[in-house]
Amino acid sequence: MSPRRRPSGGRIDRLRTIRFTFDGTAFTGHQGDTLASALLANGVSLFGRSFKYHRPRGLLTAGVDEPNALVTVLRGDVREPNIPATMVEIHDGLVAVSQNRFPSLAYDVSAVNQLGGKVLSAGFYYKTFMGPVVGPLKGTRFWMLCEKIIRRAAGLGRAGHAPDTARYERMNAFCDVLVVGSGPAGLAAAREAAASGANVILAELDPQFGGSANWSGETIDGEPAAAWASDIVGELRDQANVRLLKRTTVWGYYDDNTLAAVERVSDHKASPAKGAPRHRHWTIRAGKVVLATGAFERPLVFPGNDRPGVVMASAAQRYANEFGVLPGDKVAVFTNNDSAYRSAVALNNAGATVATIVDVRAEISEECHTLARQCGAELIVGHAVTATEGGKKLTGIKLAPFTEAAGALSSGARSVEADCLLMSGGWSPTIHLASQAGARPLWDAELQAFLPPEAGKGWVGAGAFNGTFSTAQAIAEGFAAGRVAADLAMVEIGTLPDVEPAALDPRPAPVFEIRAKGKSFVDFQHDVTSDDVRLAHIEGFVSVEHLKRYTTLGMATDQGKGSNVPGLAIMAEALGKPIPEVGTTRFRPPYAPVSVGALAAERFGDLKPERLTPMHDWHLDNEATMYSAGLWFRPMIYGGPGETIEQAYVREARVTRETAGIVDVSTLGKIAVQGPDAAELLDRAYSNVFSTLPVGKARYGLMLREDGLVFDDGTTWRLGDNDFLMTTTTANAGKVMQHLEYFLDVVWPDLKVHLTSVTDQWAGAAIGGPKAREILAACVTGTKVDNEALPFMGIVHGEIAGAPVMICRLSFSGEMAFEVYSGAGHGIHVWEALIEAGQPFGMVPYGLEALGTMRIEKGHVTGAEIDGRTSARDLHLGWMLSRKKPFIGSAMMDREGLVASGRLELVGLVSLDNRPLSGGAHIVEDVDMDNPHGSLGHITAACFSPALEKYIALALVADGKARHGKRAHVSDPLRDRFGPVEIVSHHFFDPEGKRMHG
Amino acid sequence: MVEQLSPLAAVFRPGSHGNFVDGVGVTLSEMAPGSIVQLAAWPGEEKKLIAAITSLTGLKLADGAGAGAASERHTVFGFAPGKFLLTDTAEGLVSAAGVVTPAMGTITDLSHGRTAIRVAGPRSEWVLAKLFAVDFSLVAFPQGSGISTAHHDIFAQIQRSGPDRFDLYVFRSFARSFWKMLCHASDEVGYEVR
Amino acid sequence: MLITCPYCGPRDVSEFAYQGDGNRSRPDPSSTDLAAWNAYVYDRLNPAGAHNEIWQHAGGCRAHLAVVRDTLSHEISSVRFAREKGAPAHGRRKSGAKP
Ligand SMILES: [Zn+2]
Repeated sequence: MSPRRRPSGGRIDRLRTIRFTFDGTAFTGHQGDTLASALLANGVSLFGRSFKYHRPRGLLTAGVDEPNALVTVLRGDVREPNIPATMVEIHDGLVAVSQNRFPSLAYDVSAVNQLGGKVLSAGFYYKTFMGPVVGPLKGTRFWMLCEKIIRRAAGLGRAGHAPDTARYERMNAFCDVLVVGSGPAGLAAAREAAASGANVILAELDPQFGGSANWSGETIDGEPAAAWASDIVGELRDQANVRLLKRTTVWGYYDDNTLAAVERVSDHKASPAKGAPRHRHWTIRAGKVVLATGAFERPLVFPGNDRPGVVMASAAQRYANEFGVLPGDKVAVFTNNDSAYRSAVALNNAGATVATIVDVRAEISEECHTLARQCGAELIVGHAVTATEGGKKLTGIKLAPFTEAAGALSSGARSVEADCLLMSGGWSPTIHLASQAGARPLWDAELQAFLPPEAGKGWVGAGAFNGTFSTAQAIAEGFAAGRVAADLAMVEIGTLPDVEPAALDPRPAPVFEIRAKGKSFVDFQHDVTSDDVRLAHIEGFVSVEHLKRYTTLGMATDQGKGSNVPGLAIMAEALGKPIPEVGTTRFRPPYAPVSVGALAAERFGDLKPERLTPMHDWHLDNEATMYSAGLWFRPMIYGGPGETIEQAYVREARVTRETAGIVDVSTLGKIAVQGPDAAELLDRAYSNVFSTLPVGKARYGLMLREDGLVFDDGTTWRLGDNDFLMTTTTANAGKVMQHLEYFLDVVWPDLKVHLTSVTDQWAGAAIGGPKAREILAACVTGTKVDNEALPFMGIVHGEIAGAPVMICRLSFSGEMAFEVYSGAGHGIHVWEALIEAGQPFGMVPYGLEALGTMRIEKGHVTGAEIDGRTSARDLHLGWMLSRKKPFIGSAMMDREGLVASGRLELVGLVSLDNRPLSGGAHIVEDVDMDNPHGSLGHITAACFSPALEKYIALALVADGKARHGKRAHVSDPLRDRFGPVEIVSHHFFDPEGKRMHG
Repeated sequence: MVEQLSPLAAVFRPGSHGNFVDGVGVTLSEMAPGSIVQLAAWPGEEKKLIAAITSLTGLKLADGAGAGAASERHTVFGFAPGKFLLTDTAEGLVSAAGVVTPAMGTITDLSHGRTAIRVAGPRSEWVLAKLFAVDFSLVAFPQGSGISTAHHDIFAQIQRSGPDRFDLYVFRSFARSFWKMLCHASDEVGYEVR
Repeated sequence: MLITCPYCGPRDVSEFAYQGDGNRSRPDPSSTDLAAWNAYVYDRLNPAGAHNEIWQHAGGCRAHLAVVRDTLSHEISSVRFAREKGAPAHGRRKSGAKP
C-alpha cells in the first residue's frame, strides 16, 4: 500500500486493487477511489496546467467544484475532455491523460506565459484583436494569424473526432418529492417524506449516498455519521415509493418544477452492462423539490494560492476520512473561520503532522484553541499567508502579521515548511438550483455568504444550502422540509439529534484576499487573478455581469463554484460598495457539465423516426435508390445496371409516356373530412367550390393562407354526402391538418365536422400512360374502368387480387392515369398485382425524379413554386378563385401588392445551349459574369425532358407571361453556369390535356 | 379476404433479446386486431355514443376523460374529447357500427392505418417512460384507461390493459421505426418478442 | 413548462404547438374591411405579463386550448378548450388597435 494511504477507514475496499493509467503511467488504486484520490495516494501532486499561464496545478477540492485537476478520459478512440479527476471513479482499464500541456505535464513550453503575466491580463484578447486593422500586430487580421496558436496554448482539453458509439438514454420521471442531495439534511427529508407514502426520488451526484456524513467524522445519536446515513439509505431502499439515484447530478431547474438530471450509469465500469446506457438523462417532474445541496468551501485569495499542495481544508479532510488518503505529511492551515480547525484535527488523526495553523483573526474562540492544541499545531493568529514556496510542489509558506484594516504587514514575516496547505475562506451555500428557479439570493453579513431567500413556490431548502452548518440543525431542517414537501402538517421534531462534536461558530472573518506581491487566483480554472478584477474596475466595468464577461471570472466549466463570492468581494472593495449592492450573477443550467450524448440520447443514428410506405421493401428489392422526403422515404429512381440518375429517370418517364408507369403515392397526406358540415368546411377552406361535387367524384382544390398567398393543393374525393377524402401534398399533410383543426376549434366551433388523419390507412399507387387503362382492366374485378364507368375525376370501388380498392381517375403526369387506393395492409399485394398486370405492356415503376420530370413537362406546381410568396395568379391558378363565396384568404388575396405588375410569375424555360439547368439559378436579361446583377427571377425546378428532348425548367420570373417567346439567360455564378434560355409557357407538353382525357 | 401484412414483418424477431440473464423485463408483441375504428361524437352527443358502444360491444364505459374497458373480443378507450378508439378481434367492425348514427357522430376505419403493439411485463412502465413524457404509474394511469401522447413525431394512443400491460396504437408508417426504438429501449431490461 | 390540458391533464410543453395570439378575432368572412383583416392577420399583442394564447395539444388529444400565460414567469393561470365560447379570461383587444 502506498505511503499516503491510511491502513483503514473510508469508502474504499482495500482488498480490491484496480489498475489504470494516467499520462501513460500505470497506477493502482482501490475500489471506491476517484482518479483524484488514487493518484494522490500514489504521491501524484501535479494534475494539469492552467488555462492561460500554464501554471502547474494540483487538486484543490475533492468534488464537483474542482477547477484545476481536469483530465481527458479515453475510451478507445473517443476522448472526453475536461472531466474533474475528482469525479472520475477508477476502474480496471481506465485511461486518463492530463490536459493543456505540451510536450508533457512536467515540462511545458508554454509555461513561459507566466513571465508575460501582464500581457495576458483581463481583456487581453479584446484589446489586442478586436477592431479595425490598424497595423500588423493589432486588430482582426492579427487575430486570424494568431488564432491557431492561441487556441492551442490557451484552453482546456481537446475534443476528439471519433464518433461516440456509447449508448445514451432519456428517462421521464414523476414524483411527489424530489430531494436533491443526500447529506444528513437530504436523508432526513427523504425519510420523512417517504414515511408519508409520497413518491420520493433522492438524487445524489456522488457514487455514495451520505454527503458530509461520509467524511465529517461526526457521530449522530451515538453512531458514526456514515453508518447513520447508510442505515437510512437501507431503509429507503426497501420502500417501493422511493427511487434512489446515485451518480446523478441534478443540473437544471426549469418551469413548473421540471428538473433535468444526468445519471452516470456506466462510467465507473470498464464496460456497461448489456443494453445499459453510459449516461441516462432524467427529466423529473416533481410536486415539490427539497434542495439539500450543501455548501462549497471557498478559497482564500493570496499570492501563490494555486501551487500544487494548496488544497481546500474540507477537501483534505474528505480525502483523509472518505478515501483514506493523506494529501500531505506536514500540513499547514490557513483560515478565516473555525471549520478548518476540525479539518486540521482530522488530518492529524489520520497521521499527518499539523505544523501550523495561520488564522487571519486576532482573536479566536476557546474551542479553536483547544482543537489547535489537540492536533499539536503551532497556532499563529492575526497572521496571513503572503506567499507559497516550491516549484511544481509546495515546500513551504510565507506568513506575515495581518489586520483587517491594514492587510498584511511587511514586517515580521516568516516562513514555515509544509508540503500541504489547507485553506478555508468560509462557505458558500450551493444555491445554484434555487437561482435557476428564479430565487434572488440574499447576502448574509454574518455568514459572509449568499443564502437562498424564503422557500420558493416549488421548493424548500434544508441544511447547509440554507446556511445551516450545524449537522443537528440540518437534520431538523431536513425533517421539516420533508414534511412540507410531502404536504404534511408541521410537527415539532422534539429533541434535536445528538451530534458529536458540537457545531462550531460558522461565522468567518470578512477577509477574502491577502494583498501581496504575486499572482493571487480568484478563478483557478480561467486563470483570473485579483489584479484582473481590479483592472476591470479601473477600466470602468461596474456591473457584475460585465465584470464576469470581461474577465471571464466564473465562466469556466466549474461555473465559479468557488470563485464567485471572492471575485464579488474584491470587486465590491474596488467599487467601495458593500457586497450585496454589487449583487451576484444568476446561475444558469447546467449546474455541472452534461455530456452532449445524454442530451441527444436516442435521437441519433438509426433510431430517428422514419415513415415507410407499405411498398417500401418492394422498392428496396427492386433496385430503388431511396431518398428522404421529410420523414418519409421514397424511391428516387429504380436504377438499372450502369445507369446514371438522368438516364434512369429519362427512361422511366419515356416508358410511362409510351406505354405505362406506376408510382407509389402512399405518402400523399390524406384526411377524412366527415360530418354534415364537411362540404361547408371545404367551401370555406378551398378557394374553389366543393359543395357541388357529386358523390363518387373528385376535384382539384387550392387552399390559400389567411394572407391570401397559396398554401397547398390536392384533390378531394367525395365518398358520401357527409364523407370526403382530402389529399394534400406529402410535405404539407401535417400543416393542412393543423390549419383545418384550428379553424374548426377556434374560428368555427359550430361546424359539425370531424377530421382524422388517414394517410396511413391507405396505400396508393398511381398508374399512368397510354396503356394504363388496359392494365387496370386486366386486374380489377367488380367494376368497369372504361370511360363511362370511370370518367375523368370519377371514383369506383372494386377489387384487385381479392383486396378491396378504390380507384380515382386523375392525373399528375398528364397521361391517362389512375390512383389506386387499398388498405395499407394490402398495399404490397395490390402493388404486385398491378406490376404483374403491367408486365405484358412493359410498364415500369418510376421514382420521384421521373414524377418530377413529367410534372415539369405539364407545368404542375409543387412546393418549389408554392413557396409561401406566390399568389394563385402568379401560378396562373386565378381561375380557381371562386367569386361566389368567401374562403380563407379571399379577403386578402386582392391586396395591391398581390395584384401589382412586376410580380414573379410561373413560366417555362428551355435551355438554348443544350446544357442542364438547375434550381436556384437566376434569370437575367444580359449575362454579366464578373458582376452578376439584374435578376428577373429564379428557376424552381429543372430536368431533361424526354418528351421535348431538351433541358427545360420551371421558373418564377417578373412579369413572366409577358416574356413568353423572349430570350433571357441563366446566371448561376456559384455553379459557374451561364447561358441562353427561352422563356415559354409552363405548359410544355400536351397543353390541351388530350392524353389524360383520352 | 386478403390477409393484412404487418409493417413489422421485416424487423420482427421472435425470441429473447437484450440483457435477459435476470429474466425478461418486458414482452413485446403485435396485437393485430381485425378492426380498429375511431368513433367521434358531436358535442353533447357523447353519452349517446357511449351507449352505442355499449350496445355494440357490451363494454361499459365510465364518463370521463380517457375512460376505457376491454373484453376478450373488444377494447375501447377515450383518447380525445368525444373520441374513442374501438378494436375488435374480428374484421369488418366499421360496417357493424351502424349503431353510430350521423346525428351522434362519425365512424372512421383505421384498421390498416394504426399498428397495435403490446408491451407487457414488470418493466413496462420503465421502458415506456424512456419514450413518453407521461406518468405511467397505476395511480396516474389506471387500468383500462387511455391517453394520447407522442414520441417526437410519432403519435401514440395508449391503453393500459393490465397492471403491467400497455397497448400502443401508432401510425402504420412509423410502426417499424417505433418498434426498433422500443426494442432498443428494452435491451437493458431484457425482452421477449412473441 | 407544463400545460394542463382539460382532457389529458398536465403534459410537457413539448407535446403542444403554439398557435398564436388568442386575442385576435376574425372579421366576418364577407367583410371587405381591409384594415380589420390586416389587423387580424398581422397584428399581435406582445405583452410582458399575462397573455391570451392559443395552444394546440398537437402531440395529444389535438384540441386547441385557450391559455392565459404570463410571458415573464411562464406561469399559466388558466386553460380551457378554445372551442368553448366565452371571453378569454384576460382583456380582449379590438381589431386594429395597437396595444
Ligand atoms: Zn389534450
